[in-house]
Amino acid sequence: MRKILLGILMSLPVLVFGQGFQVNLQGQKQTAMGGAGTGLAIDEASLFFNPGAVSMLEKNGVQVGANLVFLKSAFLQTGSSTVEYNKSEVAPPFQGYAVFGSDKIKFGIAAYTPFGGLMKWDDNWSGKYSVTSLNLKAIYVQPTVSVKLTDYLGLGGGLVYTYGDVNLQRGVPLSNSAGESGKATLDGHGNGWGWNAGIYLKAITGVTIGISHRSKVDVKVKDGDAVFELPASLGPYPTSFSSQLALPATTTLGFGIYPSKKTTIAFDANWVQWHVYRNLAFAYSPTGTRIPNTNSPRNYKDAAALRLGIQNQTTSSLTLRAGIGYAWSPVVDGYVTPEVPDADRLMLSAGLGYNVTPKFSVDASFLFEGLKDRTQTNIETGLSGKFASDVYVPGISLSYKW
Amino acid sequence: MKFNNKINYIVASALLFIAACKPSIDAPSVSKGQADFSRYISVGNSLTAGYADGGLYLEGQKASYPEMLAGQMKAAGGGDFKTPFFNEDQANGSGYLHISGFNTDGTPQITPVKDNLAVRGQVAIPGFGNVTLYTKYSGDINNYGVPGIKLQQINYAPYGNLNGYYERLLPGNAGTNNTPYIDFVTAKPFTFFSCWLGNNDALGYATSGGANPADQLTDKNQFAQLYTFAIARLTANGAKGVVATIPDVTSIPYFTTVTYAALLAGAQKVSPAVQAIFIQASDAPGGVRAATAQDLFTLTLNSDGVFGKPNAAGIPYGLHPLNPIESKYVLDKTETANVKDYVSYYNSVIKSVAASKGLAVMDAFTVLGQFKAGKVVDGVTVNSNFVTGNLFSLDGVHLTPFGYALVANEFIKSINSQYGSTLSTVDPTKYRMVKFP
Repeated sequence: MRKILLGILMSLPVLVFGQGFQVNLQGQKQTAMGGAGTGLAIDEASLFFNPGAVSMLEKNGVQVGANLVFLKSAFLQTGSSTVEYNKSEVAPPFQGYAVFGSDKIKFGIAAYTPFGGLMKWDDNWSGKYSVTSLNLKAIYVQPTVSVKLTDYLGLGGGLVYTYGDVNLQRGVPLSNSAGESGKATLDGHGNGWGWNAGIYLKAITGVTIGISHRSKVDVKVKDGDAVFELPASLGPYPTSFSSQLALPATTTLGFGIYPSKKTTIAFDANWVQWHVYRNLAFAYSPTGTRIPNTNSPRNYKDAAALRLGIQNQTTSSLTLRAGIGYAWSPVVDGYVTPEVPDADRLMLSAGLGYNVTPKFSVDASFLFEGLKDRTQTNIETGLSGKFASDVYVPGISLSYKW
Repeated sequence: MKFNNKINYIVASALLFIAACKPSIDAPSVSKGQADFSRYISVGNSLTAGYADGGLYLEGQKASYPEMLAGQMKAAGGGDFKTPFFNEDQANGSGYLHISGFNTDGTPQITPVKDNLAVRGQVAIPGFGNVTLYTKYSGDINNYGVPGIKLQQINYAPYGNLNGYYERLLPGNAGTNNTPYIDFVTAKPFTFFSCWLGNNDALGYATSGGANPADQLTDKNQFAQLYTFAIARLTANGAKGVVATIPDVTSIPYFTTVTYAALLAGAQKVSPAVQAIFIQASDAPGGVRAATAQDLFTLTLNSDGVFGKPNAAGIPYGLHPLNPIESKYVLDKTETANVKDYVSYYNSVIKSVAASKGLAVMDAFTVLGQFKAGKVVDGVTVNSNFVTGNLFSLDGVHLTPFGYALVANEFIKSINSQYGSTLSTVDPTKYRMVKFP
């Protein structure tokens, strides 16, 4: 009892990602139509939206596209008059599809990024002990088979290989001899497997119906790099971490309605099983340091999104599209964090397609998502304030059919 | 080609436009309400001066809560705010404690910083003792925080000769001063004040274990009379202000780190036969009794390293009635109850005087009491644990810059609610906690 024993244990990063990290940008046509397309068979992006519809595509084709995601967030801490903004960083999700085969059976390969996000705040912002930077990418590669059982019914499915990559940075509330706060960086990658399957049905009334399910994928991150920039006297610190990212399953029911030969209306209802985020665990190695393993409750709830889009073939080479959607946040009150300050969101989109030649076409889309302002006090960090976010997403794709 | 250029131009402009877009949050406008912050002065003791880690030094002065308040008042018509800073080359002021390293068992080595001091000498004041003197400060002053001052002393003319921190602000040398503190701080007109006085009237008694005859609790009537007098002087010219209450002594790590249970466990680890800890106690028939969990021990009992050491007769310190823990290390349960009773009375005086003058109240007693239980603020765990609690500095009494920022925000909330002003809070994460090498 001559001196006081120090029991400093630092509770550390917990990766959280909400609906903001679900990237619904898997085809420029569909994006331009509010993100709906499960009940349609309009292009190769059906590999993602509904593998059952792939068999109904009239031609073989390849398509590549990309978007630029501008996520704009602002935070006003409770009691403060200083609004803080995130840094302007642009995430570039992409998609690539190839479909080939006969009239009865089609094969395809798809690569797309259904989850990902890029959020950077100032290294010294008021929420630095929650997060300063998160860069998450999940790339899905999906070989697919789709069979036309009858002229009215298509079935398809694919195996999904997922590669995930995460870089998380956060301030640590420990001051060094210069009075500066510490920093933790976790950088790791991992992989996992899942599947995607769908049914496509042409009803007698002319309506098309699609049902698809993309399974949950557990991406196991092993031996990721953990870098702690903290006072040397409290070390040593862990050098690696492992964790598991659960990428939730999505079930979708979609409809296609055709008021005229040149006009298509698409409607999708998504159900995303975010409840896989009961809690998130991080394990550090070596153990026995001042950084304990963490296991934080998240208590996400499943959430729905509704999407409605329309396209009109205005001239023989030009198609115009527009859409609207609404998505409910899976993040319940008290768990909103600045990685992506999640909230219910309204989506508005528009786009056009242009056939340069009968085989070669260009599609462009623009999506705006407005998130409801959300005033929150985080249960875990006590960070209290109002978040507002808008998302702007231009995109373009090229496709070639034969 | 021309068409393509046009498209490129349109796309580039659109992307630039998007890049410049910002989501809108209406930042509340900062206003002064019914208050006038054009000249703010802060009146108080060490907490007001920015004292921390057992000393007053430049970094602490810069992170005082009055500096933070004044910084926020600037946006609402506040004027310049001057703290009597130590010079850069004497930045370590009185000297202070820091963690210089760790022992092999993981315990911190807390040692004094003794270079670059602002000490200019020492003077013997007849009938009082030695007073350490600091380099004089001669500029404008808004932060009148004087470490060590009691409410009891604000109208005592010779006080400028007894306290080196006060002497430093006065033009005259120790021995020649006769300006009472309350006259000094009110000499120049001001429009707004903060007053956090009274802590030392209870704390001086408590931190010395009630053992120092010169540091007894200020008489209740005297406290009430002087507090009323002080506030009357501060409000005499119509200034508005905020006052703060006195925290519970049991909410500071100076009294909560070394506990009866820890002492007993520590002793039994060395000698399993130990059954009791013996203390000098004001409430014991012979002046000595076995300690209980209700008795508080000072942090200095630990840092002085006396516990368990045998005396000349071979009796270990604190483990036998013939060599008890001295009174200066113990706030026994009777003394503790006594302090609590006085603090409670002082606080009732502070609140009722404030109410009578329509002043804002920052209830430090309640605020620090809430932190004692533990809170998470902006991702930082805050409690009253020594070193690790992020709130208190290495002396176990005064706050870290982060802790002072939390207090500044409580002042701001009180001011806003009393005067209808909308001062912005400060961002506590911009301020440090205990430093580790």
